[in-house]
Amino acid sequence: MKKWRIIAKHEYITNIKRKEFLFVTFGLPLFFLAIMGISFFFMGIGGHNEENKMGYIDRTGLFDSSNLTKYTDEELARKDLLDNKITNYFVIPENYTATGKIIIYSSRKNFADNMKIKEQINNFLLDNLLKNEPPDIIQRVKKPIDSEYFTLNENGVKSEDSGFSIVILPLLFSMLFTLSIFASSGFLLQSVIEEKENKIMEIILSSVSHEDLLKGKIVGLGALGLTQVLIYLVLAAVMILINPAALFFIISQIHISIPLLAAGIIYFLMGYLVFASIMAGVGAVATTSREGQQIATIFSLAGAFPMMFSEFIISSPNEGLAIALSMFPLTSPIAMVMRLSVTDVPLYELLISILVLAVSAYLIQEISARIFRASLLMYGKKPTLKELIKYVRQN
Amino acid sequence: MDKTTINVSRLSKSFNGQNVVRDISFDIKKGEVFGLIGPNGAGKTTIIRMLLDIMRPDSGEIRIQNDKLCDEIKNRIGYLPEERGLYKKLTVFETLLYLGALNERDSKERAGMLLEKMGMFAHKDKKISELSKGMQQKIQIIASIIHDPEFIILDEPFSGLDPVNMRLVKDLIIELGKAGKTILISTHMMEQVEQMCSRIFMINKGEGVLYGSIDEIKTRYGKNTVLLEFEGDLKNIPGVKKMNNSGHYAELILESGTDTQAILKNLAEMVRVNKFEISTPSLNEIFIRVVEGT
Repeated sequence: MKKWRIIAKHEYITNIKRKEFLFVTFGLPLFFLAIMGISFFFMGIGGHNEENKMGYIDRTGLFDSSNLTKYTDEELARKDLLDNKITNYFVIPENYTATGKIIIYSSRKNFADNMKIKEQINNFLLDNLLKNEPPDIIQRVKKPIDSEYFTLNENGVKSEDSGFSIVILPLLFSMLFTLSIFASSGFLLQSVIEEKENKIMEIILSSVSHEDLLKGKIVGLGALGLTQVLIYLVLAAVMILINPAALFFIISQIHISIPLLAAGIIYFLMGYLVFASIMAGVGAVATTSREGQQIATIFSLAGAFPMMFSEFIISSPNEGLAIALSMFPLTSPIAMVMRLSVTDVPLYELLISILVLAVSAYLIQEISARIFRASLLMYGKKPTLKELIKYVRQN
Repeated sequence: MDKTTINVSRLSKSFNGQNVVRDISFDIKKGEVFGLIGPNGAGKTTIIRMLLDIMRPDSGEIRIQNDKLCDEIKNRIGYLPEERGLYKKLTVFETLLYLGALNERDSKERAGMLLEKMGMFAHKDKKISELSKGMQQKIQIIASIIHDPEFIILDEPFSGLDPVNMRLVKDLIIELGKAGKTILISTHMMEQVEQMCSRIFMINKGEGVLYGSIDEIKTRYGKNTVLLEFEGDLKNIPGVKKMNNSGHYAELILESGTDTQAILKNLAEMVRVNKFEISTPSLNEIFIRVVEGT
């Protein structure tokens, strides 16, 4: 067995047991799912379960309803509300038709409830105001537009999704993607610094070349990152199986295509290689783990840049900033995956971006390997920038 | 037959314009215990790191069995670095198996055997962080020979050891030497080397100052030393060039041509002599003389 494989196996096995790995792998997606689940619950499924028992006081004499309790005395309505006989009541003032003002009283304070209440009142008001119109007109007033977007270009017509999925899903996808890259390259930083701090580095280097050590670490922790992505996909699949309503929702909203998946894998691997190489270099240079984390943060921030501008990239994926970010090697893995999930990226842009990333991955990895070799055993002494440049130049 | 197995020729290395090792050459013969000695900061660890290809020399060459260092040869070298350390979270057994595997050896049996021998078998499933410092050092020594290496490089093997463990390590080195292993001991503790090594290379400030068999070096410096155990107040005696006096024990370096009988007579009048031995100078003394250029 080649020695780098022994190291890769060792890194994989010891790091998969780390608390940090388990947290990022299982804890965070569950957290996201919980948040998503809660909002699904309030937006869809939950909405039909429990009607609010609502009362109203009509001072205009225009309104009537079979569903809602009509009160003439506001004192009585207030008493019923406090006694929990109704959950809300609202007052339609005399000047309603002129002002549109409705005063709503509720026993609970709840944002999701408020939306439902408003919708119910809205329907009640429309039903009454339009009682002389045919039902289909009433329906159209309630929901005047059901949109479907198309972009038209030389290549023909292409349907595009709109709404919820266009913002949330690419964002979630790129978030987990970013997380995997950062988590696994972060483990690499930690493992290099730990071996330095433990002083076991020298024993290992007496049996293994620097190249094999670096290669083993990068491959082992890259495999760990892929495992993490796999676990994310399995978790997603499980969630879909458990909740068929969500399945229909997601299938109807998302368009994960084969090219997107292929590009995702390419960008994951190369993005990981870039960050892992940087972290290996940082780990070799840093004297303590704290110092290492500090230097690493600079690079991580650069890498996470597209996340901060995600709104912009998703809303205008074919404009200057989005294109620039999807070309620059530190930001391109995330920015390009984000763009790919919301729009058609011209093939030449995709190819240039991949080429730039591949060349930089190679260069960064070469530079890091040299710094790694030169400064790994400089215990307690951080090299200056000048020395670093010298290390890179000599071979 | 040329028994040279490690050949170092004209090795130089500098850091930031400072020569740490300058034009060093020596050979190590198969099956010998070789001492690389010199004060702290002389460049011993740098030479060892270059031997192991952990660092690259600026110039010069190292050949092991007439070959450049490759994975196959690295697998046959055992190394105990001066800076000791192990994975804190792994167990003793896991650590030894991994380090064995890095030298492409399945070391399950040997790990058990060595742990038994060093009285550590009961701790094999403990994490390294749960062990005392002395125990950790024993594990490190086991780790350096876990793959039954032919060449063993020990950098300051006695530093930080209590007398019991010192004895243990010494015995182990002697045993390994008897088993025909080629051993390089690097240390600043010259008395230790005198007892164990057949040949030495002495280095000071990055430059080689002495090289050869201990016996040959000592004879070169002449039988002009008197080792003295005494009671009383020792003062200067004519014919003695230099005196290393430690109260009840002294090393007297004589001027050439001095009659040792006259010295003894002088001494007997001055102090109570418990022991009087005409000897070669100690390595320590030789080192000081070499450095001071006398």
